[in-house]
Amino acid sequence: MGLDPRGPRFAAAVTSVVLAVVLVTGSGWLLAAQAVVFAVAVFAGPGASPYGRLYRTLVAPRLAPPTEREDPRPVRFAQGVGLVFAVVGAVGYLAGLTALGIVATAFALFAAFLNAVFGLCLGCEMYLRFRRATG
Amino acid sequence: MSYVGLAVVAAVLLAATAAGLWRRHTDGRMRSVTPSAAGAGAGSVGSAGEVAGPVLTADEIGAEFGSRATFVQFSSAFCAPCRTTRALLGQVAGELDGVVHAEIDAEHHLDLVRRLDITRTPTVLVLDATGREVRRATGVPRRTDALAAVALASAT
Repeated sequence: MGLDPRGPRFAAAVTSVVLAVVLVTGSGWLLAAQAVVFAVAVFAGPGASPYGRLYRTLVAPRLAPPTEREDPRPVRFAQGVGLVFAVVGAVGYLAGLTALGIVATAFALFAAFLNAVFGLCLGCEMYLRFRRATG
Repeated sequence: MSYVGLAVVAAVLLAATAAGLWRRHTDGRMRSVTPSAAGAGAGSVGSAGEVAGPVLTADEIGAEFGSRATFVQFSSAFCAPCRTTRALLGQVAGELDGVVHAEIDAEHHLDLVRRLDITRTPTVLVLDATGREVRRATGVPRRTDALAAVALASAT
């Protein structure tokens, strides 16, 4: 049984807002909190993450049941990529390397926004290229 | 309030919107083969400008080539657009004589993925009766484009 595909897109939308706020406020701690959200999605599954729970309790009941299901594995991989960027960015902001913080957060926002608005999963696409190079 | 941060947000959203629209524009389009891609085939020794040979063997796709055209679909285990593509091309292959649809799991055929320069799934290669590539598409192809590709492959 897979994920309701609208859940990860909702999570990507919330993530996009959070990352935009990080960039505007320069808050390394907010980015660190986002990193924790990514980590929960990676290690406990997207459904267990705060945004996943939010989706299930607030949004899903207002929608028709999903017509198809999505495999959680590429979503978890993509969240893992987000985790790396968020950790690098948070370290950057908190250590006073603001440029590093901005660049890392910008990349993460780019991917999250593409996912939320266009349904594209850049992390998922990276997976095949990664396997091509290393498999 | 970081004005640099605000500017970065605007720039990123603009770039991401452009990228998303571009992807939407190119997704599913049947593209003709460039000489370099066609030349990286199983049995061809052509140089740039020459017609290349077959890019795949029947053994590699696990089926005989269709007498008119063969759709070779590279898929991943988890890939909703791959399911849509499989349904679409399977339907076309069922409707038309001489058209075969074969599917290859990209992750378990990385040698083919590298040789044929597959970077995304689904990628569909349209082969003629001898296994030469005439068109390829990344993303879910449109039914009309798939039918047109069959006509093209039949004509070679």
